[in-house]
Amino acid sequence: MPQRGQISWFEIVLFTSCVIWVAFGFAPALQDVVVLSFLFAGLALAWNIAGGCAGLISFGHAAFFGIGAYTSTILFQSHGITPWLGIFAGAAAAAIGGAVLSLICARLKGPFFILSSLAFAEVVRIIALNWSSVTGGAEGLSIPPVPDVANMVLGSKPAYEALTLIYLILAYAIMRWLEASRFGFYLFAVRDNDDAAAAAGINPLMVRSSAMALSAALTGVGGTLFAQYFLYLDPTYVISPELSFQFALLPAVGGLGTAIGPILGSFLITPLSELLRANLGNAAAGLHLVIYSAGLIVVMLYFPSGIAGALEKLKSRKPRP
Amino acid sequence: MSALLEVQGVSRTFGATRAVDNVSFAVQPGELLGLIGPNGAGKSTLFNLIAGVMPPSGGKIVVDGADVTGWKSYDMARAGVARTFQIPKPYRQLSVIENVMISAFLRERSMAGARDLADVTLSDLGLAPYRDRPASELTVGLLKRLEVARALAMRPKLVLFDEIMAGLTPTEVGAMTEIVAGLPAKGITVIWVEHVLYAIMKTATRMVVINRGSVIAQGAPAEVARDPAVVKAYLGEEMQLA
Amino acid sequence: MNTIIQLVISGLLIGSIYALMSIGLTLIFGVLRVVNFAHGEFLMIAMYGAWAFSKLLGLNPYIAAIAVVPAMFLFGALVYRLVIGSALEKPHLVVVFATMGLSIFLQNAALMAMTADLHDVPPIFGRSISVGHVFIKGELLLGFVITLACTIALRWVIKYTFLGKAIRATVQDGEAAKLMGIAVPKIFLITFAAGSALVGLAACVMLPLFSVFPTVGLNFVLIAFVIVVLGGMGSIEGALLGGFCVGVVQSVGSYYVAPAFGQLFFFVLFLLVMIFRSNGLFGQKGAATLGMNE
Repeated sequence: MPQRGQISWFEIVLFTSCVIWVAFGFAPALQDVVVLSFLFAGLALAWNIAGGCAGLISFGHAAFFGIGAYTSTILFQSHGITPWLGIFAGAAAAAIGGAVLSLICARLKGPFFILSSLAFAEVVRIIALNWSSVTGGAEGLSIPPVPDVANMVLGSKPAYEALTLIYLILAYAIMRWLEASRFGFYLFAVRDNDDAAAAAGINPLMVRSSAMALSAALTGVGGTLFAQYFLYLDPTYVISPELSFQFALLPAVGGLGTAIGPILGSFLITPLSELLRANLGNAAAGLHLVIYSAGLIVVMLYFPSGIAGALEKLKSRKPRP
Repeated sequence: MSALLEVQGVSRTFGATRAVDNVSFAVQPGELLGLIGPNGAGKSTLFNLIAGVMPPSGGKIVVDGADVTGWKSYDMARAGVARTFQIPKPYRQLSVIENVMISAFLRERSMAGARDLADVTLSDLGLAPYRDRPASELTVGLLKRLEVARALAMRPKLVLFDEIMAGLTPTEVGAMTEIVAGLPAKGITVIWVEHVLYAIMKTATRMVVINRGSVIAQGAPAEVARDPAVVKAYLGEEMQLA
Repeated sequence: MNTIIQLVISGLLIGSIYALMSIGLTLIFGVLRVVNFAHGEFLMIAMYGAWAFSKLLGLNPYIAAIAVVPAMFLFGALVYRLVIGSALEKPHLVVVFATMGLSIFLQNAALMAMTADLHDVPPIFGRSISVGHVFIKGELLLGFVITLACTIALRWVIKYTFLGKAIRATVQDGEAAKLMGIAVPKIFLITFAAGSALVGLAACVMLPLFSVFPTVGLNFVLIAFVIVVLGGMGSIEGALLGGFCVGVVQSVGSYYVAPAFGQLFFFVLFLLVMIFRSNGLFGQKGAATLGMNE
């Protein structure tokens, strides 16, 4: 039984390595990949709160990512509010979005919930694409690439590595807190059997909405960081089903409902997909995705508990004295 | 002493079927009330009405003087009414102790407090050896005991048992009967829906017999066993009343 | 007034074709209780197949159905054997991710094989047929007729053949069906393959109306989902009626507001249905809560 709430040596070593890596500015050529790996690890953890812990498998989380990104960027570009504050507004807006989705799906489970989350994200995307006066429509929004720390436009890649690492650690801390708190246990209860949870005095709708709002808020924060890194928001990517799929895929491969799983998923897949895209993207359009998705199917069929689950099984097979 | 639970003229219809028809009875604190009846009598529906799973189509339900008609199951739980499920519904990915802690959180808000209450409840029910095992690994008999543990960890005023004996071996039935019989002494009132009649006839202080959605007899187990209406209702069914 | 009638009639016709493409999805869900997220890509593959067949042999896509439908049946059986079958015993998530992965796989395999260029077939019918003040495209009318014929045929199979009875038994109680000697895995295989074959038929009907390109599935899969949910998961008649609703909403919505908003309307329609009538118009009660806790 995975020890809930206990931080393993492996995790301590992992985080320490990350901090050292960033502090010493290793591998300048890989800095883009590192930033993305940290960012997506945080996003995977955020998705995991709803998907892995509360059982709300959403394929529409890109909507919250986009809401966060657009909110802070619009506040910055049109109203001069620094993204350091805008990031909170983005998180709040995304949280509201999460609560709305939850209410819409109050009585839904399984595939119906998944489809509703997809539809919800599509609605948000179409609004973003068409409300040109506010969101810039299909042209998107851009932020001038002028280093400006007061407005979260950091000059150097290592600085972004640090920023996204902080995001990752924050997401991890929230996940660990969930595992050690009554609220977190309520999430697990509602996930595993919400009739039993109701009989135990838990209001499943309240718990699900709170979980979704928290997950959405944290995802929205990631959106703002993304906007501040790439300095350009394109609605067809930022609120796409592909991105939503990514948010769900990483925890699924790494291990749902665990703290380390989403991180492992991101650290494995993000560099891999960048590597494939870089080396094979030119050879034939789409080859890297063919390999990537075939690999995914194989992993899902043979390792349904993800990497974390497989590691647990290995551990428990070791002979005990 | 006022009744802990009062069911007043409660009905429930599904389309054209009257599953529960104008049922009334009261349960005093400290009673162990047995609710029996042949298959399809409406016991489960009545049970679910009291537990808050669905609202009655008519009538009132009163707990400790408060009108709880139409309250949802989680509100009933918070009002001190606990229930077990006929087919156990464990939290499969959690351990046995974590399963009980979820229920314990109703009364103990802290992790440590809930864990302690859960540990005590587990040992009371002989489940301590399975404390850290995933619930998905337990046998049916143990899962039924886990259902009882979860209900008791809520420190309820009233507990509703739904056919907890089904599928148990005679030894297990004996052990479970002892546990249930000891509850009134701990200040917990019991309403017990059961099909394994010999267990319930021995332990209940009072019986209510349901057939075709209505109450056909009420009283002490011995009286009820002799009641011609009851015998008739069960005619054709195997009886183990002694 | 004439405009509205025209819009509604066009909407009903295109809606019937949308319904044809969705019947496979609802059938698979009704029997296997899984949502095939690669459904749109099955349609895309079939459309490419129909196109290739037309191009190579100079025949029109409707005739191509003779080859495409059986080919899709086999394709569906293959996918079931390789992916779906073993995913069924695993946690629900596995099927979701496996079919999502399959979707991406097929999209990109098509991209590699056929490039991103649009392909289509020349129009089959010349001018639109006019009935009073209304103009009806021949392709739409033929599609409508094929859909109706298909729906009637399916109903007949399900009601009167042994296979149909076996399918209904499996839907109602898989365990009992097994005990009665019904090879449930075989029923699953046949249903999945049949659902794919139906998609093949839909592709042949849709090719004269829509171009094919690797990501065309994405456009249609969400429409299919909306129809299936509206009509009730597992209900064939529901899919037909759901298709009509969606067709009309899109037709009217696109005309009076911009085409993009036509899309928006039916996603909003979908969400409204989910809030208020999550079993769809004809679905089984409780269908909306099937899934995780079973």
